[in-house]
Amino acid sequence: MSSRRPRNDRLRHGNRNSEEAADWGQIRALFAAGLHLDLRSARARQRNRLKVPPMISMLATYAIIGSILALSLVRTSDPFTFTLLTFSAAMFMTAITVIMEYSSVVVSPNDYDILAHRPISSRTYYFAKVANLFFYVACTATALNLPAAIVVGFRFDGGAAVGFLYMIMALLACFAAAALVILLYSTALKLFEYQRFNRAITYVHSLATVALTFGYVLLPRMLIRENVTVAIEKGRWIWFAPPAWYAGGVELSVGLGDSRNLILALMAIVSAILVIHAALTMISLEYSRSIAELAESSTEETIRKDRRTLRTRFATLGIMFCRNDEERAGFQLMQIYMRRSRKLRLRIYPAFGLPLAVYLFGLVSGGLNDPLAPRPVESTFPVMELLGFYCVFITLFFASAITQSDQWKASWVFFAAPLENRVGLLVGARKLVIWRYMIPFFCVLLVLMGLVMPPQSALLYLFITFILSLMAFALLSMASPFMPLSQSIEKTRQARQMGLIMLLGVAMVFLVAITETLRESRLAGAGAVVLLLTLACLSEIALRKRLASRLAREEFVG
Amino acid sequence: MDTTDRPDNAIEFRSLAKSFGDIEAVRNLDLKIPRGQICGYLGPNGAGKTTTVKMATGMIVPTSGTAFINGINIVESPLQAKLMIGVVPETGALYENLTPIEYLSLVGKLYHLERDAAVEKAEEFLRLFGIADSSERMMTGFSRGMKQKVLISAALLHNPDVLFLDEPLAGLDANTALILKELLKELASLGKTVFYCSHILEVVEKVCDRVVILNRGEVVADGDTEKLKEMTHRTSLEDAFTELTSEEDLSTTVRAFSRSITGKARGASNEQ
Repeated sequence: MSSRRPRNDRLRHGNRNSEEAADWGQIRALFAAGLHLDLRSARARQRNRLKVPPMISMLATYAIIGSILALSLVRTSDPFTFTLLTFSAAMFMTAITVIMEYSSVVVSPNDYDILAHRPISSRTYYFAKVANLFFYVACTATALNLPAAIVVGFRFDGGAAVGFLYMIMALLACFAAAALVILLYSTALKLFEYQRFNRAITYVHSLATVALTFGYVLLPRMLIRENVTVAIEKGRWIWFAPPAWYAGGVELSVGLGDSRNLILALMAIVSAILVIHAALTMISLEYSRSIAELAESSTEETIRKDRRTLRTRFATLGIMFCRNDEERAGFQLMQIYMRRSRKLRLRIYPAFGLPLAVYLFGLVSGGLNDPLAPRPVESTFPVMELLGFYCVFITLFFASAITQSDQWKASWVFFAAPLENRVGLLVGARKLVIWRYMIPFFCVLLVLMGLVMPPQSALLYLFITFILSLMAFALLSMASPFMPLSQSIEKTRQARQMGLIMLLGVAMVFLVAITETLRESRLAGAGAVVLLLTLACLSEIALRKRLASRLAREEFVG
Repeated sequence: MDTTDRPDNAIEFRSLAKSFGDIEAVRNLDLKIPRGQICGYLGPNGAGKTTTVKMATGMIVPTSGTAFINGINIVESPLQAKLMIGVVPETGALYENLTPIEYLSLVGKLYHLERDAAVEKAEEFLRLFGIADSSERMMTGFSRGMKQKVLISAALLHNPDVLFLDEPLAGLDANTALILKELLKELASLGKTVFYCSHILEVVEKVCDRVVILNRGEVVADGDTEKLKEMTHRTSLEDAFTELTSEEDLSTTVRAFSRSITGKARGASNEQ
């Protein structure tokens, strides 16, 4: 039986519109195929590593985070304050997740080789990619907001109907946050020529993280000052805080329908529609061409000769700390990839935006006080603790990035080579990250903090934070025990690890306990630091043991 | 399109050129390939073969000039032109987390084929290629040859008028390679046009009606194999190809390699 031939005669005389139009049949097919590809995680299943499908574990992570958030705010007295906080958190997490994992999907020439020669219009290709992204946003936003919706339903008048309306507004808010990130990248793609975009995108990424974190930190700061257990005053600021618009919509639904809430709700809906529409249309027509140009400029990037800058010379010095050939090989491989792989940089650089945003916020709010001063300045918002937390949090990005690559198949060489010590490869890669990124970053922070507090306090505080970061890095590497760049890039991997990093609240307990001890008694504090160093050494030893047992059994699946 | 509407040339390149920064990958390429012809496109590594295929199939935009598929300008009307072509890319890129049937079904939908017809045809192709048993398995564990069979199936699924094949025999076993070679001749006799890029000169010599040799982005020879042999005063296409594209004495290169591998020139320890 022969299949139906495309009607070329009609198409030949087709006008420009047929070239530009979105084909919903193709979008459906590409969307379904995209889901198959994402959900299968074939390699993981083949190796029998995961008992729970990655998508389920990611959603469980988000549901746990959402539950913690909802329960911690259950005492909040009015629906506006409650929804303002939960929506802020949900929008922030959505935007950060899109930045971390999905933005590179929309502006990535990943599957261009497979689809570029097929009769797919630019709009179709773009819509299929965005649909895939929005599907994930819908799933994560539902998992994140469902616990809060249930709390809203029970806590405030209105029951299930209010809970339902809360979910609608929450989804709209998260879609708008995701669309805003896409819009940011689309604008960057429009503004810069492709070669420059390739280089600029990592900085755009980092700036977006700073802006988002800054906005996110600002809001709880205001609320804590107001005391969250009572209704906060709706000042002029609500017109400039998007989560407040959506919160106004929820407050309307519980019967608090003043004109201000009505306007806020309208602003929420209209702004969401506008942002989503802009994100969908801004580059849809030139998307294919842009991606083709991006693919080409990647080729050019590889042709470009590497320049030996001061930074590369500094990075090379770190090889002195490698103890054997395997470590040196892992170090150098990671060094080269960090320098040349835009995708790898995209996954790491935004991390630095998080603590920097908190630092900026501390500067603005005056919250950057000497944490080791005997009589600390009373602060309504824990800027220093949050700064410490984000310094630890950035290790999540490192641990995930160093094992993943779209060229993971090249890792066969690790299995073919007569390696005595496979662990050394990952240890070398970790050393590069610590030497090339973490140490310089902490040095920059030291200079910045030294401007606003005694340098010795800044040094001691950052030293403790650095050790905690190393422990977190070891913990995360234990959960991801693979050789460098040997895993395919899975969309859900980093989001799943986010759940693990939540456990790093423990690290914050350490941080607070040690600083308190140092404040009370220098001697006891020194003892606490020694204890911390011992724990860091033990975690490193545990990591190596775990890696040794895991990597010895590792087989190449390519 | 009715066959009577079609121009005589199924593929036409007009001053086709592509640069990557300072590097000119393809320079002012003018070529007309009539319907029903199998055109071998040869050249050493980096000569610009794959870049030509990418431009001709609308994967990248030419720096200047354009390509026509059945008279349709690929730059101006890419969708219409792409409907008429089937491509086997050199990279062998496909969605490995899909099964062959899922992948071919997706490809069928992208070409607006009816689902049942596409699946039926896909199953038939897989059976003919001898991988029907693996049709429901994800392609992550497939060998290069198995993936190549799926790629060839995908290129032929919508019954295209023009085929662009970039190293189509890569990874294929001898029997399948033989089938493919005969199939290409059969398709050409039915009026299909084949643009065949390869490094395997024996295959090109056997299969192609015409051979175009590219070197450093420029056509250095164009004609049937006999003409090329005559032109270079050589007895085989392999020798003619070497004459046209190599600047070094190959035996000198081989000796240098050997010395480098064994390390004899440096007096390495394996002398003992």
